[in-house]
Amino acid sequence: MEIKATINGDEIVKNINPNKRLVDFLRDDMNLKSVKEGCSEGECGACTVLLDKKAVTSCTLFAGQIDGCEITTVEGLEKTGELELIMKSFSKNGAIQCGFCTPGMIMSAKALFYKNSNPSKDEIIKAIEGNLCRCTGYNKIVKSIEEVRDGIEHE
Amino acid sequence: MNKNFRYIGKRIERDDSLDKARGKALYLDDIEKNNMLHGKIYMSNKPHAFVSINKESALKVEGVTHVFTYEDVPKNLYCSHQWFPGADVVEDENILQKKARFVGDRIALILGESKEAVNKGIKALEVSYDELEPVIGIDEAKKDRSIINGDTNLAFSKILSCGDADSAFNECDYIIEDEGSTPKVHHSAIENHGCLSEMDEFNNIVVYAPCQVVFQVRHIIAKALDYPYSKIRVKKITIGGSFGGKGMPILETVCAFASLKTGRPVKITMNRSETIMGSRSRNSTRIKIKTGFNKDGKIIARKIDAEVDGGGHFTNAAAVTMAMGKKAFRLYKIKNQVFNGKSYYTNTVPGGACRGYGSPQIHAISEINIDNCAKKINMDPVKFRLINAVDPGDKDPIGAPELGNARIKDCLIQGAEAFNWVERKKHIKRKNTSRYSYGIGVAAGTHGNGYKGAFPDFTNVNISILPNNRIWIKIGIHDLGCGTVLTMQQIAAEVFKISTKNIDVPQGDTFISPYDSAGTQASRVTFVCGGAVKKASEVIVNKMLENYTKLFGCSLEDIIYEDGYIWTKNNDKISYGDLADLVESKLESNLEVSVKYNSPGNPAVYAASFVEVKVDNYSGLVEVEDILAVHDLGQAINKTLVEGQIEGGAQMSIGMALSEEIEYRKDGTVKTDNFSKYHIINSPSMPQVKSLLIEDGEPGGPFGAKSVGEITAVTPGPAVINAINDALSCNICDHPATPERIIKAVLNK
Ligand code: FES
Ligand code: FES
Repeated sequence: MEIKATINGDEIVKNINPNKRLVDFLRDDMNLKSVKEGCSEGECGACTVLLDKKAVTSCTLFAGQIDGCEITTVEGLEKTGELELIMKSFSKNGAIQCGFCTPGMIMSAKALFYKNSNPSKDEIIKAIEGNLCRCTGYNKIVKSIEEVRDGIEHE
Repeated sequence: MNKNFRYIGKRIERDDSLDKARGKALYLDDIEKNNMLHGKIYMSNKPHAFVSINKESALKVEGVTHVFTYEDVPKNLYCSHQWFPGADVVEDENILQKKARFVGDRIALILGESKEAVNKGIKALEVSYDELEPVIGIDEAKKDRSIINGDTNLAFSKILSCGDADSAFNECDYIIEDEGSTPKVHHSAIENHGCLSEMDEFNNIVVYAPCQVVFQVRHIIAKALDYPYSKIRVKKITIGGSFGGKGMPILETVCAFASLKTGRPVKITMNRSETIMGSRSRNSTRIKIKTGFNKDGKIIARKIDAEVDGGGHFTNAAAVTMAMGKKAFRLYKIKNQVFNGKSYYTNTVPGGACRGYGSPQIHAISEINIDNCAKKINMDPVKFRLINAVDPGDKDPIGAPELGNARIKDCLIQGAEAFNWVERKKHIKRKNTSRYSYGIGVAAGTHGNGYKGAFPDFTNVNISILPNNRIWIKIGIHDLGCGTVLTMQQIAAEVFKISTKNIDVPQGDTFISPYDSAGTQASRVTFVCGGAVKKASEVIVNKMLENYTKLFGCSLEDIIYEDGYIWTKNNDKISYGDLADLVESKLESNLEVSVKYNSPGNPAVYAASFVEVKVDNYSGLVEVEDILAVHDLGQAINKTLVEGQIEGGAQMSIGMALSEEIEYRKDGTVKTDNFSKYHIINSPSMPQVKSLLIEDGEPGGPFGAKSVGEITAVTPGPAVINAINDALSCNICDHPATPERIIKAVLNK
């Protein structure tokens, strides 16, 4: 099937197998390696990307479902400069240990900010409830996102 | 102790985090090689069975290139736990098994040109099983009706003792007995298992492994394939978490075999279910504890019977049992104590290292028992612990290395104060409503600093100062996400007086790193490898200064060095790198040293956690409202990294207490085969962890530091259980304290 989609700002028209999982399409066909796979069934959030600015798990979607949509990954945020503040906040606060959950966490945080530019701590915690992290105990991740909300800039 | 540090203790940022955030760090599955074959393990569906495989239909699948089974692989038995040839183990694993010993055991490898082809090949493979009776759980194992290996399912047993517990019990005013269980825990590193290997142009096998001990991986591959150690290059690559789970090679032997056989790069990956079923787990245990004590709260005697579920292969059956036992002698002064440990083969996932290595299990039950002892004499549980806790400089009663600067009492005293323990204890019940019960709990714990006293514990370091003002430190470390590289950088930076940004510490690579005896495990890295980096840094700085005196004709006392520059009153500043240049051109030498470092000891680390919980009497759900974790870690090398360990360790420990368990059905299949059924703590269930550090300096450690990563996963869980038991006035000892168990306790009230 031929799909037309905007991926990280670039319009693509591609002939694809519509039953390919979105995570495989993004990683293998689009070489977007920030999209990680941890559980393959929508439970860990490592594969989180934005579909029309909403956080979705790319392991539970098919590539065919993105026809006509806009997909964003951290690679896309980096292009537009939107990654800067949040990645520095994560790094400064020690919110990144093994880092495997990090791109997914960032995408969930980003989706929250698109919806609500001034979320409460509880709303932040809720926004990442589907993103599992085994290293950090979430405390520093939540703090990082709060600092982004507050516009605190790090070197 | 001089605490005017420039780099030690500072919240310096790690080098690797931005690339991880940008998706630029390459983890195993992100690496592609030219001409690479994809591989998948066919894992046994049966827990205990002889396997026969018909390759035909799988080989017919388009794109499938090879199917390997037991018949194809070398038959050299090995033990994946064995990290050096001298470790005493039972070798009972094959590259691919003829007899499957658990659901998830490796029985075939399918290779193909694409992932899709391999997946189809897996589905097409015809496997028939000649089933044997499965042995699920310790009770079943003890019956010895169906035997998994050798002539009994008892894999290991050992008694450790001091004094004479049996007769001492007669002199005690009170005796309290408890029995409880701890679950098999899945490490839950968010990155699943994987391995990639290839042959290089010199016929070396090159293995890219997210692993903890490159020299162990080399050793096991050499053994399994009968291939020269010197022709196996194992490179530790960026890892998406381990927690012990990626300590033992699971895929490395079969992956290396496949590259050797096909001559092509081979990448094998596992998905979540496969990783849960087919890798390793924290050993489950059943532990009975009997403690005798007097009216004044002094413990006189203790007897611990611990049974360990070792799983389908021997792996760590001896090591984890011994580790549990030894810890029992290093927290409280107990003159008469006997630990009787036994581990059993069962047809379940084999045991492996898991953050804390036995400490979480033994303390889970012993700290409940301690609370019950205190309750018996109406004594505050903190006070009861203080009466019995060890002191700095105490000896180990069973002859293991001395405890060192053991600061458990400080943890308890300062923690109780910071938590406002006494007041809260008095008033906690006032919060109760008909729906919710509140309770507070405390727990203490101990862990080690390496292998000294049990196994060889040394490492080699090679450091050079390079012309462009960079310091290059070669040591066999593995950053598992904890910030190990930065820890080494900060230690070296302090000695060199140069920014961490000028220091490169490549990770374990058997062709680059000098030999390290024990890898990134056993809480040894900060204490032993950090000590080695400090020592070697001192040696090379001295060499640098001596060379400077030769070149500039000054005396050592004249030299000033700082921020990467060296000078005297009469000579202009030059960088360390410029000096390295001069040493080469003028003195025909270079600034490089190699140092072998033997661990100076194996002191204990200590922790105490203080917790408040809110229990929903209707649903049985528990909320951890507040937690303070206090750690006696000698000296923090980087406070941010340390807090990260404490917060992450609490997440694991609370999970083990409340929700995590790999559950088996009677037929040996796994119920909890994904994160929808295996519940780790997510953000809404995670409390804000307050941490308090006791930094009183450990004399043998680099700048006074000792371990922290593993001990963090020891005390939060038992403190949570004690708080639940406080809230409900019950005695839950079986883990995890699921809603069902809680409701049962509420109903039994
Ligand atoms: S891999 Fe998609 S949610 Fe876990
Ligand atoms: S940093 Fe390792 S899983 Fe989150």
